[in-house]
Amino acid sequence: MVILGTKTDAPKTRGPDDSRGYRVFRVVNTVVLIGVVVVTLYPFLNIVARSLSEEAYIIAGKVTIVPRGFDLTAYKLLMSDALFWTNYRNTVVYTVVATLISIVLTTCYAYVLSKPQLKGRTFLIGVALFTMFFSGGLIPNYVLVTSLGMKNTIWAVVVPNAISVFNLLVMKAFFESLPSELEEAAAVDGLNTYGTLLRIVLPLSKAIIATMVLFYAVSFWNSWFTAFLYIDRQDLLPVTVYLRNLIAGATDAQQSGAAAADVVQAAATLQAVTIVLTTLPILAVYPFVQRYFVRGVMLGAVKG
Amino acid sequence: MLHKTWRRVAIATAGLLALSLTTACSEDPGESTDLSENRVGAMASYGIGDQFKATEALSFSTLYNNHTFYPLKEDWLFWSELTKRTNVKIEPVAVPLSDYEQKRSLLIGAGDAPLIIPKTYHPQENAFVSSGAILPVSDYLDLMPNLKDKIAKWNLQPEIDNLRQSDGKFYLLPGVHEKPTQDYTVLVRTDIMEELKLAVPKTWDELYTVLKAMKAKYPNVYPYSDLFSKPNPTGALLNILGSAHGTQAGWDYQHATWDPTAKKFTYTGASEQYKQMVTYLHKLVAEGLLDPESFTQTDDQARQKLANGKSFVVTGNAQTLVNNHRPDLAKTLPNAKMAKIPLPIGPAGEINPFPRLENGIMISSKARESKNFVAMMQFIDWLWYSDAGLEFARWGVEGTTFTTDASGKRTLNPGVDFLGLNPKAPKHLQKDFGFQNGVFAYGGSPDLVRGFFSPEELEFQKVMDARKPRVVPPPAPLTDEEREQVSLWETPLKDFVTQNTLKFALGQRPLSEWDAYVAELKAKNSDQYIELVNKAYERFQKDNG
Repeated sequence: MVILGTKTDAPKTRGPDDSRGYRVFRVVNTVVLIGVVVVTLYPFLNIVARSLSEEAYIIAGKVTIVPRGFDLTAYKLLMSDALFWTNYRNTVVYTVVATLISIVLTTCYAYVLSKPQLKGRTFLIGVALFTMFFSGGLIPNYVLVTSLGMKNTIWAVVVPNAISVFNLLVMKAFFESLPSELEEAAAVDGLNTYGTLLRIVLPLSKAIIATMVLFYAVSFWNSWFTAFLYIDRQDLLPVTVYLRNLIAGATDAQQSGAAAADVVQAAATLQAVTIVLTTLPILAVYPFVQRYFVRGVMLGAVKG
Repeated sequence: MLHKTWRRVAIATAGLLALSLTTACSEDPGESTDLSENRVGAMASYGIGDQFKATEALSFSTLYNNHTFYPLKEDWLFWSELTKRTNVKIEPVAVPLSDYEQKRSLLIGAGDAPLIIPKTYHPQENAFVSSGAILPVSDYLDLMPNLKDKIAKWNLQPEIDNLRQSDGKFYLLPGVHEKPTQDYTVLVRTDIMEELKLAVPKTWDELYTVLKAMKAKYPNVYPYSDLFSKPNPTGALLNILGSAHGTQAGWDYQHATWDPTAKKFTYTGASEQYKQMVTYLHKLVAEGLLDPESFTQTDDQARQKLANGKSFVVTGNAQTLVNNHRPDLAKTLPNAKMAKIPLPIGPAGEINPFPRLENGIMISSKARESKNFVAMMQFIDWLWYSDAGLEFARWGVEGTTFTTDASGKRTLNPGVDFLGLNPKAPKHLQKDFGFQNGVFAYGGSPDLVRGFFSPEELEFQKVMDARKPRVVPPPAPLTDEEREQVSLWETPLKDFVTQNTLKFALGQRPLSEWDAYVAELKAKNSDQYIELVNKAYERFQKDNG
């Protein structure tokens, strides 16, 4: 919606653009974008509606975006499951800690890489880039994490993917775009490297840091694979694995017609409820960070 | 003098030859015979029907498939009672059910696998055999008297032999059933049959006449509109129809079918039986008896058609009948009645196609070095294969979760719910006690496997029990190289067969083109495939026969 707003505001300030062609473009643009909004919003609203509906209506395929046979039992059921809350808490803790670690490491790495006078800079960039294209593979990674004694601890989740190379490069480009005169002035005034970073560069980088926080937080919130690999205790798993298992469990029972067929009964609503509850927090964070979001990425992208 | 030496040499040679011959014929003893270092905690004499109890407290790590419906709880009666009875503690390595197989591969590959690896479906174990990470359990069957007893008593040797690898050993301890328990069959609206004065069809041909009569009375209806179009179209119907025709189709599609008269394997999709099956299917579609949408529609669509009287027959089992179709019909057509009919009989005769082995247990090779190895095998034998262990895993503890009457019939205690038998009960057999757990309860005698079946379902099983089990094909284990080669051929072949089964059934390809289809299969290496399997079969016969 914000994007739509800026588009329509623009012509008022720029007279010549207010031609017939541009007006046609605006109409088409608005229609297309509203179409996109509908297409992206529909599945989400459908899930919300399902989560509030009675099982029978879902099975019959009668639920679209309005809940049918309003029913909160699935919410009550899920909220009474202690494991769900344990895993939910884990997700929050993992996301916060992992984002913190990632931001610190990425900022430090990116700042160093943005300095042309650094010796071995190309090598350090190469090291980072190499991991973008090649990985050691699942089993060696597993053996590494296990032999470091990180299995079944929070560190197995928050450390292995701490630096995303893509984010690192975006951040590096942003730091490079900062005028070097600022740092020179800071040095003249007696700040050392760390002082420059903390007092001059970081305050100017709020936009990019907010963006990175968003990127990292969303990816850690949604991730399940690392936790699945390195954690064997269900009370340490994040809620994403819980959700995944719930959905798989339902389909499994359906296919095999297994003895646990009562799973299927609650499943359709329960899945929807779990999805709603796991997406809500990240949805709530998004609007607040989003205003930095466009600015941050753009700033990094256009150099000089 | 010279003469004497000659004679000595001859005798020595003959002796050597005889010796080498006898060793060649006996099971390769290898390193496996000496278990004296591995007996810590084991019972000195452990036999059929004995209660296993370790002589000292032991614990074994076990891969645990964590089910959503009954997530692992540490305070389950199952754990405490198991330790009380056997002096063994199981240390579960809990893996979410959604990705159990991936984690299992990872753990085995990384050398970090637990000692006991349950819930493995044959032939999943093949992937781990060549790495040596899992134990050839066939070498240690002597430690498992109950399993050996069940194999002998229930005539499971052919099934067990089918698990063997190219080295003649097997690497999976399967769940063993005394009787096959077929659950999928045809579900029919019995009120429509009564209305039309039709008898319950016994064969597929009789089912055809029933459908025909339904169509005559209700010309706007496709009487048979099936579910299960995924993952392969009408997998369930093809499965039961295939077995009735003596072939394997749908969910159960296998590339090689054993021909007992010719004593060799033939390619399934090119066989005469398969053609007969496809012809039958085509007849149903062509005469408007089977809904062509059966091959593509979602399960929900098929359910709705049935619920709204737009179809009368579907494929299904007791669960889909009781949990889905009957409640659906009760809402929309209160007078409708629906029931399972005994699996219709086809040209293959009265057979019960359900396999008698189910998923089983792999043992990590590391276990062999453990000083508690023997105790562990005895423990596995008790929990998974002894009568007491099987009952314990399914029903729990007598007096607490169930009671047994004079005739030996078990009843769930009123305070315990399972499958909605005591819906008001405060506790659940799986969720709160940890019994009927898919990780620990498999196989057994019918009274255990079918303990919770409804009278209606038991009646169905009684009819099915009178039928012969399907002939088990002899083992034809491939070597690693062959397996790699074969896997390159399998996917295109299977896709081609599925595609053409549909085309023939729907009439998009006339059945007169069958020979052309077989030729196209050959172009996709079906001949080489079968040749390889037959070669493997002969090699196995020669080496182990």
